[in-house]
Amino acid sequence: MAFGKVLSACIDGMQVHLVQVEVDISNGLPLFEIIGCLSSEVKEATKRVRTALRNTGIYMPAKHVVANLSPGTIRKRGSSFDLPVAIGILQAMEQVKKEEKTLYAGELSLDGKVNGIPGILSIVMEGKKKGIKKYVIPSENYREAALVKGVEIVPVEFLSEIIMENTPRLKTGRERKIKGNTRKSTVDFGEIKGQEGAKRAMEIAVSGGHNILMIGPPGSGKTLISRGVPGILPPMNQEEMLEVTKIYSLAKLINPMAPLIQERPFRKVHHNVTKAGLIGGGMTPSPGEITLSHKGVLFLDELSEFKRGVLEALREPMDDRSISILRRQTVYHFPAEFILVGACNPCPCGYYPDVERCSCNAYEREQYQARISKPLLDRIDLCIETPKITFEEIQSEKQAESSKDIQERVVKTRKIQERRFEKENIGVNGEMNISQIKKYINLQPEDKPLMEKAFLRLGLTARSYHKVLKVARTIADMEGQKEVESRHLKEALGYRIR
Amino acid sequence: MSEEYEIWLAGIRHLGGKKKKLLREKLGSAREVYNIEETQIEKVPFLTENEKEVLKIEKKRDIKRINEEMNEKEINFLPYYSKNYPKKLKEIYSPPYALYYKGSLDLEAVSVGIVGSRAPTPYGEGVALEVAEALGKAGVTIVSGMARGIDSIAHRGALNAGGLTYGILGCGVDICYPREHRGIYSDLIKCGGVLSEYPPNTKPFKSHFPARNRIISGLCDSVFVVEARKRSGSLITADMALEQGREVYALPGPITSPLSEGCNNLIQEGANIFLSVEKLMEEMKINGKISDGNSKQNKKTLERTEFLLYSCLDFFPKNLEELVKVTKLDIGEVLKGLIELELEGIVKEISKNYYVKIKEI
Repeated sequence: MAFGKVLSACIDGMQVHLVQVEVDISNGLPLFEIIGCLSSEVKEATKRVRTALRNTGIYMPAKHVVANLSPGTIRKRGSSFDLPVAIGILQAMEQVKKEEKTLYAGELSLDGKVNGIPGILSIVMEGKKKGIKKYVIPSENYREAALVKGVEIVPVEFLSEIIMENTPRLKTGRERKIKGNTRKSTVDFGEIKGQEGAKRAMEIAVSGGHNILMIGPPGSGKTLISRGVPGILPPMNQEEMLEVTKIYSLAKLINPMAPLIQERPFRKVHHNVTKAGLIGGGMTPSPGEITLSHKGVLFLDELSEFKRGVLEALREPMDDRSISILRRQTVYHFPAEFILVGACNPCPCGYYPDVERCSCNAYEREQYQARISKPLLDRIDLCIETPKITFEEIQSEKQAESSKDIQERVVKTRKIQERRFEKENIGVNGEMNISQIKKYINLQPEDKPLMEKAFLRLGLTARSYHKVLKVARTIADMEGQKEVESRHLKEALGYRIR
Repeated sequence: MSEEYEIWLAGIRHLGGKKKKLLREKLGSAREVYNIEETQIEKVPFLTENEKEVLKIEKKRDIKRINEEMNEKEINFLPYYSKNYPKKLKEIYSPPYALYYKGSLDLEAVSVGIVGSRAPTPYGEGVALEVAEALGKAGVTIVSGMARGIDSIAHRGALNAGGLTYGILGCGVDICYPREHRGIYSDLIKCGGVLSEYPPNTKPFKSHFPARNRIISGLCDSVFVVEARKRSGSLITADMALEQGREVYALPGPITSPLSEGCNNLIQEGANIFLSVEKLMEEMKINGKISDGNSKQNKKTLERTEFLLYSCLDFFPKNLEELVKVTKLDIGEVLKGLIELELEGIVKEISKNYYVKIKEI
């Protein structure tokens, strides 16, 4: 019986579907055809497979060859079906043995080399869940796939290896220690002179997972401070690392030699970004910047220069902590749990309220600030000013607190929050909804008049009132205080958005 | 109704007030001007060729429509020969041929013009508001230009105090410019009025604004310049005021502040120095109680940190960083104290983390 059956997988957005590749060789007009809801790059597989096999020394029989990728309802994309189709043909030609519970994925070169593919980590993780024990994958993707423990990973470099061995197995000496991707953040908070307010606010933001906006004149160090943020973010646990690596693998952004992303992502986005670039999109949606900053920081410099529509698109993912994109009757979900760090100037020229340099009038300032949509500002908990740096500060030899010390405190504060939210589906104060705020923040009786006064005098809204409470909760957590006290509230009021 | 013709004549653009006056006086009335034959126009000696053309074209306009529009928009018309025409304006050089206004026109009381920068500092804003409120309470009419910055603050102050206040516009009175002052515009019509020498529908051309400054100073007994840069439009108002024999007061400011340069120069050139509302009212012989006395009652004993912060602040914005450095407190403390002061209404956050003192204790 000239029939072959191989297991493979396809990626649809962030989702992995297992795919059966069936190959049948029968008498009839010579033909090689692949069917099963294919996109054009999968159709091209026929040419690659035929040539790769020939260059490996296998001539396909001049018969009717049909490969079917099932289920036939899911759209198949990408070039990862080359290898399984080739193996299916070889099985049908009885060149290799059939193997149960083995998943094949890889792209073929015309010379028979097996090329790497994106998203291998997702495929192996999903396969493990479904009980698949063995994975035959391009050797380029080996280190990435090997991040998943408890399964057998067989890397292949050439198609010929599989044919010669008849049944592929792990070659000894292949397994090397897997190095992580250690990207050191470039700026240490200890090197930043002055800017105590901004650094403190940044620590609060990172500790409690709050979104933050920095306002300041050009050259005051907004970008510098934001570069220091990765250094104070708490380290990720194994689970989070894999989650982030999965995304980066899909986006083809990992280093195959050191695939594991160990540091929290920090994405700086230019203000020319399109909506699709920021939130994800395309014909078959690929992760956008918000998904790439999952578990990390999304930094939007020059916030007021972004196109309005692009910023508006951030509203939904900031609330849901994920983004859903609808394409061709399919909804694609991408995770997007990030801390937004924004930076902008106070006025068009950037120097307000320094009257010697600023010539903008109130109207121009209003217009400038109105460019950032109000609903977006509503989702930002903290706001801080970064003043221009004085000469003494540039010259000063005094070392500020290093990022490492700050990071330690952040980790401690995060632990307190984790314990508090054990039974909730959130991890940090910034994610609290109104009922959770009511549950976890008890205002002292003497603080109620204070907040009432603040509400009236400082023009708070219901939303900004809750934001103040959340930030106050984080400040209290940083001190290890059980209850939110009036000094926490007052400091939080100082960080409110005007 | 001969007023229809008067409105028509006053509304002719590209024909100066003096020429209109001459025409009207030579021919007897506006109706005669309207009915003048084309051949006759050519014979008028003081009109240029252009002006003759303008007149010929304008004669084709629908007089009824012009009139209806004035009624629809509730615009009042006041030509120079009317007995209601403000006396103070008659005295000045080149008084407007006619005034258009919305609201009421009552310029009997003592009036003060308050003018200044469109982008003032909190210091100027504070003083302008205080003076306008005090004068408004004392029954003084406040005249200004409804522009951004000091002008609108002066109007606002007078409105707060329930006083009369007039906005002199550089466009037709049916147009609210700048647009964001719609609130002030409608309030002005209720408690005073908006006034212009330009016929309705006139757009706010740049050249109109220096010209309207002569009306601001003309309608006033004194002009108070709050803040002005070296070459500010407010200085034109001050010049006009001096030409028209009005008193000019200027608010002194730090020599380092570019927004006080114009005012300080004025003082050097001999303008009256503004030292306090009390003194201003004394000099202008205005009676009225201004010190409300409760400022003493309000005197609160501040806590140590708050007092420290308070003494570090002034009318010029200080940012959080500076305050932290000066007081040597940590940020949490400083922010706490500032919020405390802000809640007491002593301090204002004018831009994110920039604070100014707005009240003395």
